[in-house]
Amino acid sequence: MTDSSRGRVIDVITEFANIGAGSAATALSSLLDVELMNDATTCEILPLAKVSDYLGGAKQVVAGTYTYLCGDLRSGVLVVLPSDSAVALLEHLTKEKVQLSALNNIQLSALKEVGNICLCWYLIAVSKMIDVDMIPAPPDATVDLLGAVLDIPLASVGAKVDTVIAVHTSFKAIDRQFEGYFLMLPEESTLKLIMSRMGEPRQ
Amino acid sequence: MREFKVVGIAQLAICRAPEQLACLGLGSCVAVILYDPVLKIAGIVHVLLPKAPAKYEAEEKYADTGTKKLARELVARGAAKERLVAKLVGGAQMFSNLNLAISDIGRGNCTEAKKTLRELGIRVVAEDVEGTRGRSAYLNAETGKVIVETAFSPTRTI
Repeated sequence: MTDSSRGRVIDVITEFANIGAGSAATALSSLLDVELMNDATTCEILPLAKVSDYLGGAKQVVAGTYTYLCGDLRSGVLVVLPSDSAVALLEHLTKEKVQLSALNNIQLSALKEVGNICLCWYLIAVSKMIDVDMIPAPPDATVDLLGAVLDIPLASVGAKVDTVIAVHTSFKAIDRQFEGYFLMLPEESTLKLIMSRMGEPRQ
Repeated sequence: MREFKVVGIAQLAICRAPEQLACLGLGSCVAVILYDPVLKIAGIVHVLLPKAPAKYEAEEKYADTGTKKLARELVARGAAKERLVAKLVGGAQMFSNLNLAISDIGRGNCTEAKKTLRELGIRVVAEDVEGTRGRSAYLNAETGKVIVETAFSPTRTI
């Protein structure tokens, strides 16, 4: 790929993820009754070792929900919340005091469900836009070190390549302390499909 | 804690006392740690996947080729292969409900690393592996001790 066509791919993927993240943030907004604002999507091509640094460091504790698309379009998709936002979200939903180190089944399930709803709205929006069926694996959630949360997503795309495309959109609440981000890790083989469906000439 | 050098995914690093190395946020990845107690020289390879395919570029990404490369690099820097001992950290199953073949790759990483160490004749003296929690490992080349931290449980030294 030449530099200019690579730049074009990044622009198109960024736009693609913007639409998904917008739809997911709207769903999360109405679920939580909070006004959310999305930041601009960024798309970076990174070596495997640098992904967690790019996202703020492998050691921070986060709540991550992950699914993998296994149809024509192959990509990992994650919703990640920093630990304080995960606590705020769960306390808002369950109306009880939450300790991330000892989540009970209901709380873990609530976390997974919120992640699931975000991922679904993300996928519905992008799937409609490019008219490709998305087939996500059932999502799963965990609360752990960021580096550990990213291992399986990176192992899925990193099996074939040594660099990954990280498409990142952060969101935050306007009037309170609540934030997080969506992360898409598309497989390189899938980029062509997205490009052609987004009306780009064949590379 | 003193300064340490971070070893990221698919990276390999070697240090001599008093330097320290660290792998932060190991999930299904495994840190294969080799140590020569006489020369006080140690190394870590942070592997992502178990077995290298027929065609590959980064040896450090796979448990089999990464472990071999680490042993080779240590021997090239003067370590004696018969003195080397191994410690393993990581290999957890982070998403146990995920219905994908790859979700239990942590166990595969451990198995492959152990198999390769057996072939090389290197003994595994300590491990903190598998389970469902992520770990960070800090290696001290002076003592060969590895401090293992998790998000919520107490710190262990192996």
